[in-house]
Amino acid sequence: MTNAVVTNTGRPGPPEMVRRLPEVLAIWVPLLLSAAHLVSFSLWTIWVSFTPSTLIPVAGWVGLRNYTAVLASRNWQIAFDNLLLFGSAFVLLSLVTGLFLAILLDQRIRGENVLRSIFLYPLAVSFVVTGTVWSWLLNPGLGIEKLVHDLGWTSFKFDWLIDRDMAIWTIVVAAIWQSSGFAMALFLAGLRSVDSDLIKAAQIDGAGPVRMYRRVILPTLWPITVTVIVIQLQFAISTFDLVRALTNGGPGIATQLPALVVYDLMFQRNLLGRGAAAAVLMLLILLAVLLPYAAWRYLQRRRAAHA
Amino acid sequence: MRDRTFAPGRALVYLVVSLVAAAWLVPLIVVVLNSLRSNEEIAQTSMIGWPQHWAFGNYLAAWSDFCVAQTCAGIRPYMLNSALVTIPATIFSTLLGAVAGYAVSLWRFRGDSWIYGIVTLGIFLPQQMRLLPWTIVLRDTGLMNTLTGLVVIHTIQGLSFTTLFCRNYYVAVPQELIRAARIDGAGFFRIFWRIILPLSPPILVVTVIWQFTHIWNEFLYGVTFTTGQQQPVTAALIALSAAVADIPQHGVQSAAVLIAALPTLLVYLLGGKYFVRGLTAGAVK
Amino acid sequence: MPITTTRRRLLAGSAAALALPAFARAQSAVKPRLTAISQWSAGSDGAAITALGKKFEEKGGVWQHSPVPGFTTEMMNKLRAQIMAGDPPACSQLKGPEIAAWSKIAPTVDLDALVAAAGYEKVVAPDLAKLHKPAGKWIALPLQIYSTNMLFLSKRAMDKAKADKIPVTWADFNDLAEKMKSGGVAFPVANGGTRPDDGQKFEASLAGISPTAYRKAIMDLDKKALEGPEIKAAFAQVRKIADWMDPNVGAQHFSTNLKRFVEGEMGMMIMGGWAQGVLRNAGFKFEDFTIAPGPSDNGKPVFLLNADAFIFWQRKEADLQAGQTLMAQLVMDPAIQTMYSQITGSIPVRTDVDLSGEGWSAGQRLTAAALKDAIASNQAVLSVAHNMAQENGLTAALIDVITEFVKNKTIKPEQAAIRLAEAVESAR
Repeated sequence: MTNAVVTNTGRPGPPEMVRRLPEVLAIWVPLLLSAAHLVSFSLWTIWVSFTPSTLIPVAGWVGLRNYTAVLASRNWQIAFDNLLLFGSAFVLLSLVTGLFLAILLDQRIRGENVLRSIFLYPLAVSFVVTGTVWSWLLNPGLGIEKLVHDLGWTSFKFDWLIDRDMAIWTIVVAAIWQSSGFAMALFLAGLRSVDSDLIKAAQIDGAGPVRMYRRVILPTLWPITVTVIVIQLQFAISTFDLVRALTNGGPGIATQLPALVVYDLMFQRNLLGRGAAAAVLMLLILLAVLLPYAAWRYLQRRRAAHA
Repeated sequence: MRDRTFAPGRALVYLVVSLVAAAWLVPLIVVVLNSLRSNEEIAQTSMIGWPQHWAFGNYLAAWSDFCVAQTCAGIRPYMLNSALVTIPATIFSTLLGAVAGYAVSLWRFRGDSWIYGIVTLGIFLPQQMRLLPWTIVLRDTGLMNTLTGLVVIHTIQGLSFTTLFCRNYYVAVPQELIRAARIDGAGFFRIFWRIILPLSPPILVVTVIWQFTHIWNEFLYGVTFTTGQQQPVTAALIALSAAVADIPQHGVQSAAVLIAALPTLLVYLLGGKYFVRGLTAGAVK
Repeated sequence: MPITTTRRRLLAGSAAALALPAFARAQSAVKPRLTAISQWSAGSDGAAITALGKKFEEKGGVWQHSPVPGFTTEMMNKLRAQIMAGDPPACSQLKGPEIAAWSKIAPTVDLDALVAAAGYEKVVAPDLAKLHKPAGKWIALPLQIYSTNMLFLSKRAMDKAKADKIPVTWADFNDLAEKMKSGGVAFPVANGGTRPDDGQKFEASLAGISPTAYRKAIMDLDKKALEGPEIKAAFAQVRKIADWMDPNVGAQHFSTNLKRFVEGEMGMMIMGGWAQGVLRNAGFKFEDFTIAPGPSDNGKPVFLLNADAFIFWQRKEADLQAGQTLMAQLVMDPAIQTMYSQITGSIPVRTDVDLSGEGWSAGQRLTAAALKDAIASNQAVLSVAHNMAQENGLTAALIDVITEFVKNKTIKPEQAAIRLAEAVESAR
């Protein structure tokens, strides 16, 4: 975080104001529009969550009824548990996968451009498409399991997609495939910007490759790791199209996720008030995750300011 | 390691990296193979398989022939619609985000961290939640069923990401540069134009890639806020998969998916190098 | 326009006489125009509505159909957005109890005069008619019908089981499945595992066991009926069906199994009439399978109704009003219904259409005959799996319980019955 670079000292006089109007507009209009839509949309949703709205938003007051209904529903309970499991597993594993791929690509290997494109391409394709393709690959009767059976290993079993307890992991697999390229790109960028003097010094000290990574290079990646976590967390919480195409919440309702429940309540079941309540609950989960991060950033900034 | 070490280690690296890459390519290969099989063949055999008869006609059907209700023009017109939304929205959100990121990082002003905090929180606000509020906004601004409406939505929503990326990049710009320029009498725009923008290509590549792919692949707003002739390409793709009384059109659909993904794949292929370079240059602080 | 002015309806006796000249007047004054929203965009659905549009244009109208590809949800999102913007389409696809729900959020057109003029009411199944006149007046018109509980039998699987009798009751069905199993049919039931598919397994079971219990429990949500023995029996039957299915099907669409069904690796499928069209379009032959009405324990056909319909939204523009009149007349026209059903594989809503002619399949004739019989014996009921029996919210709550039961073999039929009653209670 930088300190104030150019602070506005004193109040500018009227001619100054006129002269600076274009820049004030350029700064404030987009930012205010963006902030205004976020704040007003959130407030609107909170309002709707207390109304008896069904098909369209209507005025009225039902107190916490929408919230108690959502919290009592099996769909939400399953979705909440799944989010905890999916969120932590996905963030952790995509972090590991991304870092692993980045370290591999950092070995000055031939064909780095091609390989990087291969790991990044899933990001370019829509989730609806990738979810559908993964639903074929992971289906035991169509995809990987059948292929292995056809090759002769008939006792091979890979049926997570139809297993209620394991189905959530198929979403983890597809999500990692889809988005760890992004983590890889971030980590690769970090690895490439490690101070070469540091590396030289470590080499002079006779550090081997493993120690080099553990002691010298990886510690410098800490800020990037936080960025990756935040971005992947955002991905985890808003995962929607992928699940809809891959499992559509099934088998049964075993792979429900909050984003799915919100959409389902609002637009499929036409229970707008309840859907809004679920959305507000989702925002609360988000805050619970983001507040520690904000606190961490704040402390970091304080430390930087004191340094 | 960074310098060439003994050969077995490198062989292992190559082995592992090619295996992972092969695994990464499997879904793409499945789609490419399906794009070369007829709908009937897929229905009569399996979703995954080697083409028995090469159905190159799928590409022609996907590009210019298949019907979405009464319009039989393939995905061509829908590609154009998507481009008409995606390109301006990407440009506007990137430019405005760059100015905002520059202002927030180097041109501190009262309330900057507050507004920056709120704007970046936007990346977490689920899209489904914003659908109805946007409906009301479009109604009140008279932009319902116009491509302009979609451009406005994607520009405003995109600002959260572009501002975040750009601000984190510009934070690394040496403050002395700005200070010196100020002393020389350069104003806000002059500094942006002369100093910041020339430094920006790497991060602009990142935001362009990000925005372009997200807007191009967007479906929910695309079908809700347009009418028949203006729908985005994602709507045409879904149309191919949603007929009740038909076998799913997997062959033509796969071809259509590949054609529709070309712009975003190209953006990634061309921009991928700069993506990493751009992020290296400081977007990840 | 008489069709939008309720006061004119006081002259209901001469409504027909009034409507027609008024329509003629409107037509001479303005060119009829119709804005329409539907999810029918591709395949035979897309082809059918496009053909309807052609007819509309032949009659001098301007056809402005805007398909919303995807699930019904996306179509509803679009409709909701247009209604909220004060710009509803002149007519849009909507079905079942949703017609009543949506008619409360925006004014609809009173179609009574036109329906009377066409003599439509007496040729529509009574339960179906009720859905389209929620407050006593016709505001929507059904267009085509599917039954969701047709029984498809694989010829080769029948050969393997050395069976030639088509099962009539659930006991027959279960017998045949056992015979198929021992005759070497790997999976006697060929259904898929999507949410509506699971719902169909349940509704076919319950309605086949007792149409009366189905009507009371599912359509009327009668508390006593929901706790009745028929519900448990139905869940027990669903469990049998699920056990005979390929466990690997997961949530796949039934069309994934068609190859194995035709080849006799799978035996029977409880599916809507639309599966005929799917089999045909996938290049399979009619000789490969037999179609029959779904199992019914009292021997008389039970028909689970699924009907697509158009709802008409009030518009002030004269050309749109003229377009609505023309569209309503077309939708009720037997020739148009014939054309439409022959494209999609459904059957006409009108029970007086003759299906003996060319262009109809044996399956369609059989479906139409089953519908007539079922209406006569009061065994035509509304499908819950396809959102005909209850509003979407309640339907989804019911399907939640059913699909979980299908996928989780540790749930007992008794538990499922309790959960079903609870779901109704909490969704109310």
